[in-house]
Amino acid sequence: MTQWNMYSRGDKIFAMTCAILVGMFTAATLYPFIYIAAVSFSSGFAATAGKVVLTPIDFTVEAYRFILGDPRFWNSYKNTFIYTIGGTAMSLVLIIPAAYALSRPQLVGRRFWNLFIAFTMWFNAGMIPFFLNMRDLGLLDSMFGIIIGFAVNAFNIILLRNFFESIPRSFEEAARMDGANEFQVLWKVFVPLAKPAIATITLFCIVSRWNGFFWAMVLLQSEEKIPLQVFLRHTIANLSDTEEFAMTALDASYSAETITAAIIVCSILPVLIVYPFIQRYFEKGILLGGVKE
Amino acid sequence: MSGVKLDRVVKTYGAVQVVHGIDLHIKPKEFVVLVGPSGCGKSTTLRMIAGLEEISGGTIAIDGRVVNRVAPKDRDVAMVFQNYALYPHLSVAENIAFGLRIRRTPREEIRRSVAEVAEILGLTQYLERRPADLSGGQRQRVAMGRAIVRHPKVFLFDEPLSNLDAKLRTQMRAEIRRLHNRLGVTSIYVTHDQVEAMTLADRIVVMNGGRIEQIGTPMELFTNPANLFVAGFIGSPPMNQLRGRVVRDADGPAVMIRDIRVRLPRDVSVEDSQEVLLGVRPEHVLLAARSNATPVPISLDLVEPLGSEALLHAEIHGQPFVIKAPTQGDVGRFSGLDMIHLPAEELKVFDAETGRSLITHQVSGG
Repeated sequence: MTQWNMYSRGDKIFAMTCAILVGMFTAATLYPFIYIAAVSFSSGFAATAGKVVLTPIDFTVEAYRFILGDPRFWNSYKNTFIYTIGGTAMSLVLIIPAAYALSRPQLVGRRFWNLFIAFTMWFNAGMIPFFLNMRDLGLLDSMFGIIIGFAVNAFNIILLRNFFESIPRSFEEAARMDGANEFQVLWKVFVPLAKPAIATITLFCIVSRWNGFFWAMVLLQSEEKIPLQVFLRHTIANLSDTEEFAMTALDASYSAETITAAIIVCSILPVLIVYPFIQRYFEKGILLGGVKE
Repeated sequence: MSGVKLDRVVKTYGAVQVVHGIDLHIKPKEFVVLVGPSGCGKSTTLRMIAGLEEISGGTIAIDGRVVNRVAPKDRDVAMVFQNYALYPHLSVAENIAFGLRIRRTPREEIRRSVAEVAEILGLTQYLERRPADLSGGQRQRVAMGRAIVRHPKVFLFDEPLSNLDAKLRTQMRAEIRRLHNRLGVTSIYVTHDQVEAMTLADRIVVMNGGRIEQIGTPMELFTNPANLFVAGFIGSPPMNQLRGRVVRDADGPAVMIRDIRVRLPRDVSVEDSQEVLLGVRPEHVLLAARSNATPVPISLDLVEPLGSEALLHAEIHGQPFVIKAPTQGDVGRFSGLDMIHLPAEELKVFDAETGRSLITHQVSGG
């Protein structure tokens, strides 16, 4: 309080304006989560009638009972885990050596390779050529296709390359004098030192894989291979049309809205659980990757 | 034990030559210090010996084997880096053991070697700590531990003390020298600090602009600098330089600094009217008259007391001149000082144009 009194009138107005803006931004960010959670625990009637604003109306877990009893939900959940874990692992296996190679001054044609990769951040072949490419490689309707097809991301390579470049050269030289070969320098020195940056790109990969929707919808035809996001889309599109749903939803304990909300809650839950564990690396990684010491 | 021989070694970066064909023979067990200002090529030379920089010409031999095309790991040399280069994710023990693990040394041998090195360097109680939890001096010791645990043929030190404060630097300097006396491994040490060079070296190599200016023992370099660069670089404060012109008469050669006539030592090769620079070490200046010493009037500007000694900043006909004199517990004794005495046998004479020493009979520096 003493400190607050030391501020000038202008400073106080500025601080209060900042606090109000941050509060509004926080509310705008949090509200969709709160609303979806509230709808998922409300009765179908209340949700359809638009009565839910902040808290559940006629609290019920019927929507969750409905989706958790659906084997297709569990199958798509399993698929999403496979795409997320497999895809993230594949990305790291490809991105780490690529970033390391691009960070080495002795790489022949280093400027060209860096430009070659950065170029894809702004210009790419587009949707149709990519689809044709996947088709010609026999990767349509293939789980492996989803994992390998999106494994490399230029932004992540450049982020990690910048981090590797910021590691003092003497670490590499000391390891070389100790007898380490190129692979050992990468694995035993650079990877441990780049933990914050690697955690950051891991989180990027996890989030993008977990939320992966468009290409999964385009490339996968078999129901048993679709991830959670595509299942969610199918559910939203089809739920109210099905005879089964029309029959069971008669008591209005759940509706298309509450079931959609329940699936959304289930789909964001794992990311919300993982994020706090990686957050400290996440912030550090973004900062360090861009700063050369 | 192994020596290191550099034969006409050249380093170029594109069209720029930074090391101009240096020759240097380092004897087994010798402690050699490469000293010089920033950009003189000393670190590049060290890195070429380590194999971290390719050489552009000449040969480098370690223990009689030419290593021009040998990878750093196969040269059997170990290096202590300026920033220590300790792996922050590994403990002290793991840092020291890193090189042995990479070389697949048996586990029991690693444990024994690490314990032995930790004992030598006083690191036993810190083995489980991470580098971030250590002081600067302890980190420096770990860096040395990592080097000595492999029992290499040659130790290379790249300005290892430059990140430490003055007190710790003095302490670590003594530790490095003790370690060398104990292990007897050929050591090459790079520094820009002439005090470090003087205190550590068996021989000093003074470098400037990618060339060797002079090689010699610390006292040889101090007593008989081959040129103005070495005279100015070795010694603290540096040697005074007074510009004057040579005259000859029955008493022998002398230098005229305007109206002041300073007698020169007899073993000097000068010509009449030759323009020279007279070199006088601040500590060789006498405050009292003595035979064979020329009295020179000064105008005293500033007294800097250092404790037992003081630095007196003065001018001789507009040319700056520093005197190092004992205070004998009283700085006031210097007030009113207007005359000093330059003993002929301690004077150095350099050609004003080339900077080369004109003293013909070099006094042994011990």
